[in-house]
Amino acid sequence: MSLLALLGVLSSAIYSGTSLLYTTLGEVISERGGIVNLGLEGVMLVSAATGFAVTSVTGNPYFGILASMLSGGLINMLFGYLVIARKANQLASGLATMFFGFGLSALIGAPYVGGKIESLPRILVPGLGGLPKQYTFQFQFDLLIYLVVPAAIGVWFLLFRTRWGLSQRAVGESADTAFAAGYDPNKLRYQALFLAGMLAGLGAAHLSIVYTRTWKEFMTAGRGFIAVALVIFSKWHPLRAIAGALLFGGAVAFQLLLQASGVNISPFLLDSIPYVLTILVLMAWGGTRKQSAPASLGRVYRGSE
Amino acid sequence: MKTKSTLMFVSLFVILGLILAACQPAATATPAPEPTQPPAPTTVPPTDVPTEVATDEPPEGPCLIIGALYVGSVKDAGFNQAMHESLLQVKENIPCVEIIEAENIPEGPDAEKTMQTMIDQGAKLIFPTSFGHQEPAFALSEKNPDVIFEHVGGYMMSGNFANLFGKPPETFYIMGAAAGMMTKSNKLGFIGAFPIGWSVTFINAFELGAQSTNPDAETIVTWNFSWSDSAKEAAATDALINQGVDVITMHVDAPSTIIQTAEARGVYSIGYQSLAAQQFAPEYWLTGVGFTLGGTMTWLTQNVIDEKWEPIFLRCGVADGCMTIAPFGPKVPQEVQDKVGSLLEDLKSGKMAIFDGPIVDQDGTVRIAVGSTLSDEEMGNVDWFVKGVVGSPK
Repeated sequence: MSLLALLGVLSSAIYSGTSLLYTTLGEVISERGGIVNLGLEGVMLVSAATGFAVTSVTGNPYFGILASMLSGGLINMLFGYLVIARKANQLASGLATMFFGFGLSALIGAPYVGGKIESLPRILVPGLGGLPKQYTFQFQFDLLIYLVVPAAIGVWFLLFRTRWGLSQRAVGESADTAFAAGYDPNKLRYQALFLAGMLAGLGAAHLSIVYTRTWKEFMTAGRGFIAVALVIFSKWHPLRAIAGALLFGGAVAFQLLLQASGVNISPFLLDSIPYVLTILVLMAWGGTRKQSAPASLGRVYRGSE
Repeated sequence: MKTKSTLMFVSLFVILGLILAACQPAATATPAPEPTQPPAPTTVPPTDVPTEVATDEPPEGPCLIIGALYVGSVKDAGFNQAMHESLLQVKENIPCVEIIEAENIPEGPDAEKTMQTMIDQGAKLIFPTSFGHQEPAFALSEKNPDVIFEHVGGYMMSGNFANLFGKPPETFYIMGAAAGMMTKSNKLGFIGAFPIGWSVTFINAFELGAQSTNPDAETIVTWNFSWSDSAKEAAATDALINQGVDVITMHVDAPSTIIQTAEARGVYSIGYQSLAAQQFAPEYWLTGVGFTLGGTMTWLTQNVIDEKWEPIFLRCGVADGCMTIAPFGPKVPQEVQDKVGSLLEDLKSGKMAIFDGPIVDQDGTVRIAVGSTLSDEEMGNVDWFVKGVVGSPK
């Protein structure tokens, strides 16, 4: 296994991990505020379809990305209305949102299936221009990839270095206490959900507009679920989420590399590596004594009279 | 405590979700026949495809109602689009027919319901176009003996149930020959969906074609375990290109993501399924193959109208117009185009023998001895790669 091949795994991991990381970052924010959104798969699908449709109509991928973010935010507002205003169970509402997303995305995307769109250009990492072509080949990324780590740092800053983040985490630990301290838990949760939806929208935009340049029904193929798992993996910390997304993306790329190298292992087994890894990580982390989950995650805030 | 149980639920749900997601794309648009015991194939080239029919004034109402089912969208620039366009050609050739189409019909009980609705609307000829539509269609054909079923890609046969398909191995051989001439790294890439017999046969044909023009050419294979996971297709394309591959082809539902990823990285691609795939690679398109079953479907339809229809296990290739080689891309030199042209001539004159022995597998074991060849039935059950393929066939 040459250095080049391993660099290839890294490069592929960055590409396929980007959509996961944006989505995971969003979910970290909303779960820090106490809301678990199992509907992410549906949110991503609606965003991916909308982003692709808008790019197709306007011919401008930046408009598409914007539309994708907005639609993600809006779907999350709908979910927010269920769990915040109507005080519905978060897990059941998440499932409902997911199925709603399945249907809505198919409807939005139907006229654009098989369309050809303009996408973002791939730009070489600055300073690597002097390397041979087979190396520079691996390090040409698009704008959304360049922005994903700054986005993770931004989310970390927002959650741990700003007053808004502090209040958000306070609501996630105990909404009643936060209310007593003068915060409005419902307002904060709506804000967190909107932000989370926009980030999931960015992830979906990278998937449909940039990475695959296509729209297909169910094209996220479980990436919304993986993002929920990655939140647990990252112990609700945005910077650890980077490692999680890279690890999952890397596992996909690595098993493909093994297949392409002709190793004598069943491709059926190799293909399951990333998913087995996810399950193992959930098991290992789930068993640790020191829980870092927000204390009132998943609980309905009934209001304080 | 409560958080913990929530967490437990979330974890369980995620795992369940992953399992579901893994199962979901089982919708196989690409007919991938795995006939255990197919009936003896009677290849009947429809030479007498009617060019002009129904010149008479059409009588009141349609002369025949046709039902067509697709597993995906008819605009997928892939298999479903190719099937849809074939049906449109039937309508063009025989204007008095009426065609009822249904897209995104999953394989399973829904398909049977959809077909029943078509029959209730008066359909007398049904084209179920996805491999997994075969079983429900066959079950329905037993209940409706007056309705004729022409399944695309399957193997089941009865008095009112037959099937038709192209001959992809021969076209993959020709594509391989072109790829062998174009490659500079001597590494060709093939992205497959599932390691099923037919896909393995396509890959073998592709590699044998490549070897015919370039003895050093090897074909590197990755399996996606999905017919339609676009993100994985992009990842596989990247992985193959990172291994030095400079020509890529595939056997998935809709190849647009693979072709666009290759194009973005300056790597040649060879399309498969629909001729519409070419638009996705304006610069690095090599060539491709599409299903163009319109002529054959027209012939079958006319037979139904004339009450001459008989169940035939029909396989027809480029020579019969059932498959078509796409136009070449702008970077393809004349000698490659000439080579493809001469191979097509060989094919039409019956001189092409792709799987004539001796053929050895990856380990050097002789799989096809001198003097024998691979029969159509055997092609669906191949579980070994020819020498020169890198990857695992099972």
